[in-house]
Amino acid sequence: MDNKTVKTICYLSRLSIDGEKEQKIVTDLDNIIEFVDQLNNVNTSEVKPLTNPLEKTAKTRTDKVTAENLKEEFLEIAPSSNEDYFLVPRVVE
Amino acid sequence: MTIRYKTIKEITSMISKKEISNKEVIQEVYKLIDENKHLNAFITLNKEDSIKKAEDLDNSSSNLSLAGVPIAQKDLFCTKGLRTTCGSNILNNFIPPYSATVIKNLESAGCISVGKTNMDEFAMGSSNETSFFGNVQNPWGQNLVPGGSSGGSASAVAAGIVPAASGTDTGGSIRQPASLCGITGLKPTYGRISRWGMIAFASSLDQAGPMARTAEDCAIMLNTMCSHDEKDTTSLDNKIPDFEENLNTSISGKKIGIVKDLDLSSLDKKVIAVYENSLNEFVSMGAELVDIKLPNLSLSVPTYYVVAPAECSSNLSRFDGVKFGRRSENPKDLEQLYIKTRSEGFGDEVKRRILIGSYVLSAGYYDAYYKKAQQVRRLIKDDFDDAFKKVDVIMTPTTRGPAFKMGSKGSDPIQMYLEDLFTISANLAGLPAMSIPNGNIDNKPIGLQIIGNFLDEGTILNFAHMFQKETNWHNYTPDGVKE
Repeated sequence: MDNKTVKTICYLSRLSIDGEKEQKIVTDLDNIIEFVDQLNNVNTSEVKPLTNPLEKTAKTRTDKVTAENLKEEFLEIAPSSNEDYFLVPRVVE
Repeated sequence: MTIRYKTIKEITSMISKKEISNKEVIQEVYKLIDENKHLNAFITLNKEDSIKKAEDLDNSSSNLSLAGVPIAQKDLFCTKGLRTTCGSNILNNFIPPYSATVIKNLESAGCISVGKTNMDEFAMGSSNETSFFGNVQNPWGQNLVPGGSSGGSASAVAAGIVPAASGTDTGGSIRQPASLCGITGLKPTYGRISRWGMIAFASSLDQAGPMARTAEDCAIMLNTMCSHDEKDTTSLDNKIPDFEENLNTSISGKKIGIVKDLDLSSLDKKVIAVYENSLNEFVSMGAELVDIKLPNLSLSVPTYYVVAPAECSSNLSRFDGVKFGRRSENPKDLEQLYIKTRSEGFGDEVKRRILIGSYVLSAGYYDAYYKKAQQVRRLIKDDFDDAFKKVDVIMTPTTRGPAFKMGSKGSDPIQMYLEDLFTISANLAGLPAMSIPNGNIDNKPIGLQIIGNFLDEGTILNFAHMFQKETNWHNYTPDGVKE
């Protein structure tokens, strides 16, 4: 884990780290990755990954609308919206 | 007539015998909240609505199981019309347009949601020191942590402000604060309680549950919290038993698994003595101790710190300042809107976990970390499956010690992560587990963890209730032992 890798994962995460905190984050992440590296000592070549304790696949249902239309309520709590859309800074000039 | 330190059972009895009105109950709750402001247990109060509900109940009596019972709700559950922050600046202004299924279930049973409790930001923490809204104090001593992440819920119950609270548990967030605050808390089987309307941290681990003074009250709460919910694809469709039914069943002849691979050498001798005394108590009730092996248990914490951050980095990508929550002011373009909103809105621990998650999921590392952790997760679950062929429950200490001082874990996050050493494996395996008070060390409470087999909350509640019939630890309060 070095400063360059941390910059890349910060970008992937859409996060910026203040200059003064950068070194601490690099050290912390390095220690955490070193800590979880102990998993590599376990032989798992024959083991199927467990993604969820229930191991269920998503249930299917009839394709009919069940949700209420809460458009107004959702637009009302948005940081910026008009009567139909969420508003963000202009993307295309 | 006071409701302080009373259980759900005692309060419902006081109300039905008209020893106290519903309104008086709620008024006392707010008086207690005010007198205990220094605990910082609540982020948002629901006073006006709660008093109105209590008045309505006084005008038309109800026989619902939680009628008039004041319950504090962890601020991780969406509550319609009531601010829900998840302990984060990024949701500082978020007022959900709907309520979580579990909140609806509790309120349909008549409970009064008196307020939203403080918590570690997005449930990431074991000491309630990561909340944007400040640290929560443990009522057992100044500058003692209440544990986390459901620290506000645990503190409010331990201080006797409310008889019960809701919590959530991703790696120990109900059981660890229950242990450090001297209360009873239960994490049900993964899938028992709907996750719909719970703000997601790690979706394959998160589970809601009750925090209360007794196992009996946890059973009463659980009876209303569980339901099959089509809105949550991982919600179980199994029959939900009456969790109060087997509380008094004899535990004579039942088997308690004792984990031989558990290294207790790093624990204080007093912690081990408390643990062993409790095992002896169960033996005197006729239970049998059986040695079991969980050879991969020591890998739980590193496994968790790959799986949970990976899922959190994905879940928390929804907080981008576009549709709800806080948005950074005057971003120069859309990219800056995302980056500035998230960087200003999240605290350091949340950022740290998102970054680990992005790293372990990124191209080239996915197999080495994420897939590997999921494989080890299966080994841990398989160990439990084998153990439960021989025993009814498994017992461990809940925590490595009693409540510690704020700031005492230093700045190394791994020291804090190891706080959840005993609790994390139940989340990885999806098993029900609870913590009950089982001793006091230097006038600070500590808990015993009881882990049950898949869907077998009934048996752990039975063990816990029988223990509480024979011992008095659950009656200890910061003000002395309850009569």
